[in-house]
Amino acid sequence: MFKYFEKYGCNLTFSTIVLVLAVMPVLFMLGILSGTSTLLFLGKCIAFAIVAIGLDLIWGYTGILSLGHGLYFALGGYAMAMYLKLQATGGNITDFMHIGGLTELPTIWRPFHTLPITFIMIVLVPSILAWIIGYFIFKTRVKGVYFSIISQALTWAACSIFIALSPYTNGNVGITEIKSIFGSIKGGANQGNLFFLFYMSLATLVGVYAFSRFLVSRKFGKLLVAIRDGENRTYFSGYPVSRYKNFIYVLSAAFAGIAGAIFVNFNGCITPSQMTISYSITMVIWVAVGGRGTIIGAVIGAFLINICEYNLSSGSTVEIWQYIIGAIFCLSILFFKGGLVGLAQEKVPLFMHKLAAKASKA
Amino acid sequence: MDHFVTILFNGVSQSSIILLTSLGLAITFGLMHVINMAHGEFVMIGAYSTYVVQQIFVRYLPESIGSIYYFAAIPAAFLVAFFLGSLLEKFVISRLYGREIDSLLATWGISLILQQAARTIFGTQGVNVTAPAFLQGGFSIGNCTFSYNRLFIILLVVFCMIAIWFIMYKSRFGKQMRAVMQNRPMAMCMGINSRKIDNLTFAIGSGFAGIAGCSIALLGSIDSTVGQSYIVNAFMAVVLGGVGKLIGTVLGSGIIGMASIFTENYTSSTIAKAIVLLIVIIFLQKRPQGLFVIKSRNLD
Amino acid sequence: MELLSEYILEINHISVCFDGFYALTDVTTKIKRNSIHFFIGPNGAGKTTLLDIICAKTKPTSGTVVFNPMYKEPITLTGMPEYEIVWNGIGRKFQVPSVFVNLTVEDNMVLSLSGGKRIVDSILRTPSDEQNEHINSLLKQVGLFEKKNFRAGALAHGEKQWLEIAMQLVQEPELIMLDEPAAGMGKPETFKSGEILKKIKKDCTIIVIEHDMDFVKQIADTVTVLHEGKILMEGSVESALADKTVQAVYLGRGKE
Repeated sequence: MFKYFEKYGCNLTFSTIVLVLAVMPVLFMLGILSGTSTLLFLGKCIAFAIVAIGLDLIWGYTGILSLGHGLYFALGGYAMAMYLKLQATGGNITDFMHIGGLTELPTIWRPFHTLPITFIMIVLVPSILAWIIGYFIFKTRVKGVYFSIISQALTWAACSIFIALSPYTNGNVGITEIKSIFGSIKGGANQGNLFFLFYMSLATLVGVYAFSRFLVSRKFGKLLVAIRDGENRTYFSGYPVSRYKNFIYVLSAAFAGIAGAIFVNFNGCITPSQMTISYSITMVIWVAVGGRGTIIGAVIGAFLINICEYNLSSGSTVEIWQYIIGAIFCLSILFFKGGLVGLAQEKVPLFMHKLAAKASKA
Repeated sequence: MDHFVTILFNGVSQSSIILLTSLGLAITFGLMHVINMAHGEFVMIGAYSTYVVQQIFVRYLPESIGSIYYFAAIPAAFLVAFFLGSLLEKFVISRLYGREIDSLLATWGISLILQQAARTIFGTQGVNVTAPAFLQGGFSIGNCTFSYNRLFIILLVVFCMIAIWFIMYKSRFGKQMRAVMQNRPMAMCMGINSRKIDNLTFAIGSGFAGIAGCSIALLGSIDSTVGQSYIVNAFMAVVLGGVGKLIGTVLGSGIIGMASIFTENYTSSTIAKAIVLLIVIIFLQKRPQGLFVIKSRNLD
Repeated sequence: MELLSEYILEINHISVCFDGFYALTDVTTKIKRNSIHFFIGPNGAGKTTLLDIICAKTKPTSGTVVFNPMYKEPITLTGMPEYEIVWNGIGRKFQVPSVFVNLTVEDNMVLSLSGGKRIVDSILRTPSDEQNEHINSLLKQVGLFEKKNFRAGALAHGEKQWLEIAMQLVQEPELIMLDEPAAGMGKPETFKSGEILKKIKKDCTIIVIEHDMDFVKQIADTVTVLHEGKILMEGSVESALADKTVQAVYLGRGKE
């Protein structure tokens, strides 16, 4: 019985999480939950889980630590926000553009009039950027740590640029006052929109999860681990490693873009703070604490840490949260390399054996 | 021409600041293969120490010797950062030997804690350090102004470079440090206490970060995020310079400093950031390991 | 049609210079097809560097290496990326055992199979029954069949050596290069490796770097002695062992 759990534990856990999430809107409808803020928050967590899965693929499996994934997340978010803003203004020039001295809609905004093109941009823009970066970095076999530093510098530079281009992006304030793609999700009358958005996002998460699990169950997944543990040996086994790295990096950037787009719908705005180093590293924290190299760990970490932060970082406990998260992160890297999932994988078998032993004694 | 000289001076000044912040980083990365993401916070600690020293001088000592506070601040900043660095090494860094990428992350956790501690102690508003009288103002040649505080920083960097060169190449400790860096097991067989060397080296690197903080205090207001604004450039200087000789870091800082200032002059500071990053990436195409490397025979 | 060359590998005037130090100077030699060719010599002679050049771990300062495969045109290896060289049927075992420590023994073998190196293949294809049979028979040969599902990192040093050798053999290469395969093995195991290599000689060519003279005597067809980056002499095992200069610089004048 336990072997069954070992093999399917990850999928079982994930299914449980999905079920719990799927039930939430129902609880809300029945009046057990009140206020849409919980649903909005959980929707954001779904977005976080998606980007975390992408990060797990490149870091947990392949050993590529990107400290600037916030960039791809934000690019997807901005793409979606631009579409939503144009919906809100009826395709006209926005106020911040006016203030910025523009007289008509800038060319860069034009593609975002239609939803299909917006969807394409959400996936394509982060992917192409990731492909370019990956090409220059992985082909020349730059050291892993150097890549991390460069990814950090990349998001830092991009964040500056976005803030500086305020006529086009509304600088520090970001793009605000937008509704979701299904229309407004605030208020009692728009519950339907909110539920629809929620279930669509959940479905996306399931899709991303399933696809990732499929990938890592194939020889491809083993190759990622091989690249992580013995990159040179993998080259000498005949694999064009840089192509593999680039592929998985681009895939994770695409996931991040999709996550950003979902995020904007629930958040109602996007700002350059989603593009900062700090935000990017926070995403890595989710994967590290949840358990890298397992896919489910990324999902667990994203939900758990954000739920803790939601509950702990208001009012008087704001300050303490920083200490807590810093300590959790540091301790988990030092002592619990496998994160929560790793702990479970270690302790649960022992526990089960003890139970079985007790049962057979009785 | 005058304009060019001013830009040149600013470039040298910027390079000197980057070098000061990246010196400690280069030492710890070169020796222990640990990337300390909390390095920026040690700079912040140095800056806050300077502030504290100044407050002490202002409150308890007569005004006439007020200006000299800065000379007390430099060693104070070094010592505070040195001590904290030593603690950090003992409890955290020492467990991360050989785990480069993990060290990056664990120290980020520390950096969050340190930043919050700064906010708890000093509040979220920035504090200002008034530069001592002799460092205020500058002198002019023609249309170019050379501010004293920037000149002082350049001198300070030169002094630090000499100090490091002396420590690394002329002292017994330095020899042991280089031995551990090049071949740890062998050095241990020779009786060198590599743990102690690690601790001292990391502490010294952090101490220099403290001194960097001291000089940054002269340039603007200090808050809990001041370390973050300097750290990315410092990292890039280390990446460019490679991990072999300190001269690499010097060159790396020089390239980044000069490139930043020159591009900033013709475009803007945001574009300058992007261009500097581009320069680093292009440079790494030719030399993926940086300017100076130590080669090894192992496969991975 | 051109006659198939007697020599599978031609090393032409290879020189390698590291920061002023010449690891190899003008090394020229040919490796006969289906033979076991040893490179011996004192440490620092440049043996491993030579293998590094052939499999493109290092670039030579000058000179070329030409590979004459069975069913294709001659290929110049110098300048090719290492993974392409592997595609052409050349395998390398390293001095320090390098296997994939977090994967199982079986996974290590599956990853080493020839073909299927593209991303698409790695996602869509699985090893055929024939390939699985091949893996199992090789694992049995090297005595690792029972440990098929063990994590490779948990194997003993000697077992890791065996695994790496098996990983080379499963590729069915035309040319295998082994760097000190007997290191860390006892006499019986070394003898066993020799017998295995003699058996596969008919299907491929083997280049070996070794210090164990009994092993050399057991299976070598040709021996090239390297000293300080240059070829000292080349010939049969007997002539190499009897050569006075070789004895002076490497073997010693003891009771051999």
